[in-house]
Amino acid sequence: MTETAPQTRNSSSRAEATLVSKAEASVLRDFLRGLLRVLRANPLTFVGFILVLILSVLALLVVLVPVVTQLLLGHTILLTPFDPNELTTDYGQPPSTSHFFGTDNLGGDIFSRILTALPLDLAIGFGITGFALLVGGGLGLVAGFWDRPGTIGGVVSLVILRVTDVFLAFPSLVLALAIAASLGRGTGPAMLAVLVTWWPYYVRLTRGEVLAVKHQPYVMAARAAGVSEVRILFRHVLRNLLEPLLVYYTLDIGTVLVTFSTISFVGIGVPLSVPEWGSMVELYRRFLQTQPWTVLSAGGAIFVTVLAFSLFGDGLRDILDPRSRRALVQAAIPSTLMAKAAAAAEA
Amino acid sequence: MQMAEALLDIRGLSIDYEVGAGVFHAISDLSLQITPGRVLGIVGETGSGKSTLAHAIPRLLQEPPARVRSGRILFRGVDVLELPRWKLPLLRGTGIGMIFQEPINSLNPAYRIFDQVAEAVAVRKLRDSGQTPTLFQAVEPHDYSRGKPVKTGPALLHAAIPHLPGIGTGARREALRTEVLDYLKLVRINDPETILDLYPHELSGGMRQRVMIAIALSEKPALLIADEPTSALDITIQAQVLTLMKELLEEVRTSILFISHDLGVIAEMADDVGVLYAGHLVEFGPVEDVYTNPRHPYTKLLLRSVPNRYKTDGPLPALTGSVPSLAKIPPGCPFHPRCPLAREICSQDPGPVLERAKGASASTHLSACYFSEEVATIG
Repeated sequence: MTETAPQTRNSSSRAEATLVSKAEASVLRDFLRGLLRVLRANPLTFVGFILVLILSVLALLVVLVPVVTQLLLGHTILLTPFDPNELTTDYGQPPSTSHFFGTDNLGGDIFSRILTALPLDLAIGFGITGFALLVGGGLGLVAGFWDRPGTIGGVVSLVILRVTDVFLAFPSLVLALAIAASLGRGTGPAMLAVLVTWWPYYVRLTRGEVLAVKHQPYVMAARAAGVSEVRILFRHVLRNLLEPLLVYYTLDIGTVLVTFSTISFVGIGVPLSVPEWGSMVELYRRFLQTQPWTVLSAGGAIFVTVLAFSLFGDGLRDILDPRSRRALVQAAIPSTLMAKAAAAAEA
Repeated sequence: MQMAEALLDIRGLSIDYEVGAGVFHAISDLSLQITPGRVLGIVGETGSGKSTLAHAIPRLLQEPPARVRSGRILFRGVDVLELPRWKLPLLRGTGIGMIFQEPINSLNPAYRIFDQVAEAVAVRKLRDSGQTPTLFQAVEPHDYSRGKPVKTGPALLHAAIPHLPGIGTGARREALRTEVLDYLKLVRINDPETILDLYPHELSGGMRQRVMIAIALSEKPALLIADEPTSALDITIQAQVLTLMKELLEEVRTSILFISHDLGVIAEMADDVGVLYAGHLVEFGPVEDVYTNPRHPYTKLLLRSVPNRYKTDGPLPALTGSVPSLAKIPPGCPFHPRCPLAREICSQDPGPVLERAKGASASTHLSACYFSEEVATIG
């Protein structure tokens, strides 16, 4: 560009500027288009993506609608058809048009309770695993990458791993129960209890993956090219950890929900007045034979959520892996279009 | 020897591997020099310590299990072994570049070819512009990667922070693009524009090795170490890559340490050759002299065992015995149990440190054998 003749310089630099801004815009557009194509090419991912989207929007609405109506109208309007804690006289009703998922033994509308629990359960699933991923993953990254004995990194790595071992040595559920019990009943203490016990697994997982990736020839090649260690860690190692970590993370959301419900089950977690799927399953378990819709609805909610995140996570893995991404994108483009493009390229 | 001029000067280097089974002496008391602009070939059998040597120079050995027992590696007057760990990235790439044996996994599977070449170009540009500290004050005449004056600054900070602000998008990317294309063209990649956007798994082994060569060259290293760059490739691709490297030698004047187990490849590529046996450098000299007039029994026997298609009578004269385990290198000369010239002294005395070979024409032709003048008598 610098070699252009003076008279054309202006126009060419303008052309260059547009080229650059176009290139910047097209990166985002390409990414979004690519995402859309992948989603279409892989229907299961698409289902997962849509489900996650619906669940997230619903959760947001459940939280926002009462607040916004309170502000605007002066009185609260719930998104749910009934107050989740209202005890009607229609107890033990099977699903009907007025009670979509039926009512429980005390006359509570199960659909309303499940919907009300959605934000809390998403927060539990996302929050606890997310925290574990960040903290455990970060520690595992450091412990795995700088583990040369006799260096500062080696000592730090050793400390991280031994502390992790201490946590892993306790049965995590017992530890969580002990913490929850000592903190008293409530949603917050229960979350904190699971939070404390959850991250060590991520340290181990991440460290193992780092150890595998850091001995790959491409890491040595990057090092030989003079790339700094920190950059190698973040650009070359971390990028290749994303796939296994993401899959584990999405599957783990379900496990967290189940563990959380166990704490509620023994009576030291979420108070019964707060709708939460896990505690609802435990609460309604007794009615499996007489009022099966109660426990099945609550269990179904967990099932759908876990399924949604698993499918979505699996799809994300495919997008992150260049090998499957290219195949997916090719599958997503109609073959007639490919033929047309090939013809155009030849002409 | 021209000590002062040597680009790389290795003195008395010994490297061990300490593993559960014992101590393996991968390199024993090795000394060699590379003068600017020369191509030094190192030839040796599997397990003779070739790769250990290649990895030791830019400090890429994994320590432990590897341990440098003694010796010095002077690169442009700086002792590489004395450098603190955080300074090592400054040595690598622009100072000492490297091409590896396995092109299949040497590219990060997650990034496009463009990003991988651009990373190397960016590393060099930052050093040229003085944004990252440089290890070497003096820029020697052979060094075509002449940088601007060294800026001293918070060097530690520079080295600790991932000092490439991302290859990124937009203008920075466009600026690097031309240069990346130039290097892909340099290694004779057809249609480099398309290759830019491909992932490593979409390229063949030969193409990947070309990209690796492009990456190494794009940093304009003063010394390029090629560790068996063609061994993992099939024979036709091997020939293509060798031809390419030979052509590049003409275009890019850089010193090369070329490591191979293939005598033919070394003859093709190198000016000087060093013969490695069980971690010992047994002979060193200009390729022609060493090949036509070997002055160490091992070299002689090794050359004799190369298949010759004009001599089809009789069995191939293979070396008797086998390479000693690096954990149990025989006392005295490591080659004496297999040597036809072996005397009493050979099993007791480790032999002379590389000395001017008797009966050799070139003054730089060195041998580690007391009886170098008798080597010609081996049938």
